[in-house]
Amino acid sequence: MPARFSIFSLVKVLFRPKAAFETLAAQEPPATRVFFGFALWIGLLPPLFAYIGTMNFGWRLGVEPVFLPQRTVFAISAAYFVALLLGFLSSAVIARWMAVTYDASQSLGRCFALMAVVGAPLAIGSVIHLYPHAFINLLVLVPTLIWSMYLLYRGLPVVLHTGPNRGMLMASALIAYLLVAAVSLLGVTVALWGSGLGPLIGN
Amino acid sequence: MNFLSLHRKIERHSGLLIFGILVVSSIGGLVQVLPIVLDDSHSAPAAGLAVYSPLELEGRDIYIRESCSTCHTQQVRPLLAEVKRYGPYSRAGEFAYDRPFLWGSKRTGPDLARVGGNYSDAWHHVHLLDPRAVVPASIMPAYPWLAQRDADQGRTIAARMRTLRMLGHPYSDADIAAAPAALEGETELDAVTAYLQSLGRSMQGTPQP
Amino acid sequence: MNYEDRIVTAFTACSVFWAVLGMLAGVYVAAELVWPTIDFGLPGLSFGRLRTLHTTLVLFGFGVSGLVATGLYSVQRTSHVRLFAPGLAWFVLYAWQLTIVLGGASILAGWNAGKEYAELEWPFDLAIAVAWVSFGVVFFGTIARRKMEAIYISNWFYGALIIVVAMLHIVNSLALPATFGKSYSLFAGAQDAVVQWWYGHNAVGFLLTGGFLGMLYYFLPKQAEQPIWSYRLSIVAFWAFVYTYIWAGPHHLHYHSIPEWVQSLGMAMSLILLAPSWATMVNGIMTVSAAAKKLRSDPALKFIVLSLAFYGLATFEGPMLAIKSVNVFSHFTEWTIGHVHSGALGWNALITFGTFYFLVPRLAGAPLYSARLANIHFWLALAGVMLYVLSMWGAGVSQGVLWLSLDKLGEVRFSFNDVMAAMKPYYLLRFIGGLLFLAGAVLMAVNLARTFSGRRTVVVAPPPAHAAKGLT
Repeated sequence: MPARFSIFSLVKVLFRPKAAFETLAAQEPPATRVFFGFALWIGLLPPLFAYIGTMNFGWRLGVEPVFLPQRTVFAISAAYFVALLLGFLSSAVIARWMAVTYDASQSLGRCFALMAVVGAPLAIGSVIHLYPHAFINLLVLVPTLIWSMYLLYRGLPVVLHTGPNRGMLMASALIAYLLVAAVSLLGVTVALWGSGLGPLIGN
Repeated sequence: MNFLSLHRKIERHSGLLIFGILVVSSIGGLVQVLPIVLDDSHSAPAAGLAVYSPLELEGRDIYIRESCSTCHTQQVRPLLAEVKRYGPYSRAGEFAYDRPFLWGSKRTGPDLARVGGNYSDAWHHVHLLDPRAVVPASIMPAYPWLAQRDADQGRTIAARMRTLRMLGHPYSDADIAAAPAALEGETELDAVTAYLQSLGRSMQGTPQP
Repeated sequence: MNYEDRIVTAFTACSVFWAVLGMLAGVYVAAELVWPTIDFGLPGLSFGRLRTLHTTLVLFGFGVSGLVATGLYSVQRTSHVRLFAPGLAWFVLYAWQLTIVLGGASILAGWNAGKEYAELEWPFDLAIAVAWVSFGVVFFGTIARRKMEAIYISNWFYGALIIVVAMLHIVNSLALPATFGKSYSLFAGAQDAVVQWWYGHNAVGFLLTGGFLGMLYYFLPKQAEQPIWSYRLSIVAFWAFVYTYIWAGPHHLHYHSIPEWVQSLGMAMSLILLAPSWATMVNGIMTVSAAAKKLRSDPALKFIVLSLAFYGLATFEGPMLAIKSVNVFSHFTEWTIGHVHSGALGWNALITFGTFYFLVPRLAGAPLYSARLANIHFWLALAGVMLYVLSMWGAGVSQGVLWLSLDKLGEVRFSFNDVMAAMKPYYLLRFIGGLLFLAGAVLMAVNLARTFSGRRTVVVAPPPAHAAKGLT
């Protein structure tokens, strides 16, 4: 395995998360390298899969599939990409901000790397977006999400050099942030759709 | 006296704490709920609204017994899609004889505020006994016992109507005296069907504002 | 004179029992939405009756019994005196549990007042009122005899729970009985709706939020061995909470046939409510964080801390769903159900579980039977609640968007039946989520029962009078 944290670490993250955490804990990758060498690329996967899937199969919410014009699909995928990157950056920055309270490592690079590792299964799991059936996506992504939460609880104390209890507290605090961020996104999305900014599903 | 020293007093005196909670928690109710309860215009019956007949009342009480309002709302919101789907939006005056109100909070099945007259009695009978016989994808429970039970098994219809009269429903002595006979020979299935057919009838033919 | 803890044990046992039974009823009704024929044509298993039983058992059986148990435990310790009128406390126990048993049976038999979360008929309403006032007498009697000068914060919340729920219950249950098992509401139609949601929303507010905050304010600092982070913040948050919550009810009636000003006021107050709700969360998080360095590894704390995360979610989601432009989509959909359960499972149940894992070893005088089982319970609960909430978000947003979709000609685009049929997979996921959560609760029941069967006699006496000052 390369000692450097890069796109190649992905395999290790997926199959030997504990070893990946320990490797990470031993080094301090620069935040820019984690971001440009890893996060940006795996963050590109879900919107890409979503774009391909929606263009080919249409949205399937359980009723007849909904096909959207290419420009709309592109705009939605781009917005999705931006939302993912913002989610990633904000949770990494918030993790670093919380690190003071929980006496954890304040290395921004480690926080970036931790979030990238935790998010990696979800990015890979998003391959299911290729067939954008809402239920099948939930079926795959919800267990993946629970796995990611498990990785967060297990990995945080190791990567950020803090005790198991403080790690548990900090992981719960991060989950609180992510839950609130997720529901806000949901609220903003439907409110925008309601005000006519969103795609017109009824076409 | 700053607020901390005021609070020092409250938190050292249980009577004061109880009084404080009572006062502070009552304000919202007094300003927001009480005016609605005291304003009779919110319970004034709409023109054309008839009080429930004995059979409809029996059906309504069965509807409550089976908690139908867990899954069926009776409230059409003033939104284009809802008015297109269900009919004219609901007005307060339509619910003057609803004790309790049955607007519901969850629409697992369709809204029923205007279901009256949309289907035949026979359709309702089949649907209540075996919903999937007429709507294959339906997840509604079947209610086979409705057909096997006589309406008003407890012989309480007169007592119920008298109670409602005390609350202001316009039942006459003759209405109440005739009620038990009106339910004679009817099943609970007939009663629920009669109630469903009565829903939203008062607004039919009323022009949309 | 020792603390009266046997009553605490009894209420805890009842609470755990109702938790398992109430959640079982919940899982069963969730299954009925996937396989509608599993009621086998039996009235008592019919969805409407069983769902009413589910909410009654978890709210009044599990929730209230847990609150009374923890309330009676903490009021003695924060007042440094033995319980006032323990005989009356035992009366509360028997009266309350008998009401749940008979009331539950009456719901299955078809007695129903027709008001959501207040379906029990008038004889039970009377019994509830008597038991509740007796609980109030015991609780405030204990506070009146306290040796501490100040009344501790947790007791303000329990106090508000007792007073406000009494007020809500009595007003909302006002009805004229027609027979022994049937009564008619004193209010009709739109007026009844406004009264009902003043009750319904604040039952959530003062029971599921306020009451459980009382639990938090005692057990969290206790567990962290650290005084509450900011006393001043607790004072402000408490009174703002008590004042604001009451106004928010009408957000359950957006776009309904009630006056516009009532809806708008309800929406505004719901948004304001975020401030006191989150102030309390910040206070809780900062309290554990301040103690983070000295914390011992303990399953109880894990549950309590995660419950705070879901408290943060639920108290944010609530005001958001109260905004009319969001509510127009979420209203009447599964999103509401998901929201309720992120609060009920993620916040109320998790904090209660955590508290029980803390409480039962102390009542038994023996260590927890298995920390490993408790850890498995933690992950089952987290997975269960996530599955539940996410499947309901998916279902709710789909319903909201599809119902309101219009086609080019301005007609509704999707038939109701098609949208309903599309919900089936989500219902299946929700059923699995509920099943996981129930499995966790069963593990807890076993764990706590085994812990208790290894008990030693423990009596805890109040500290001597000179130690009584300045603990708050």
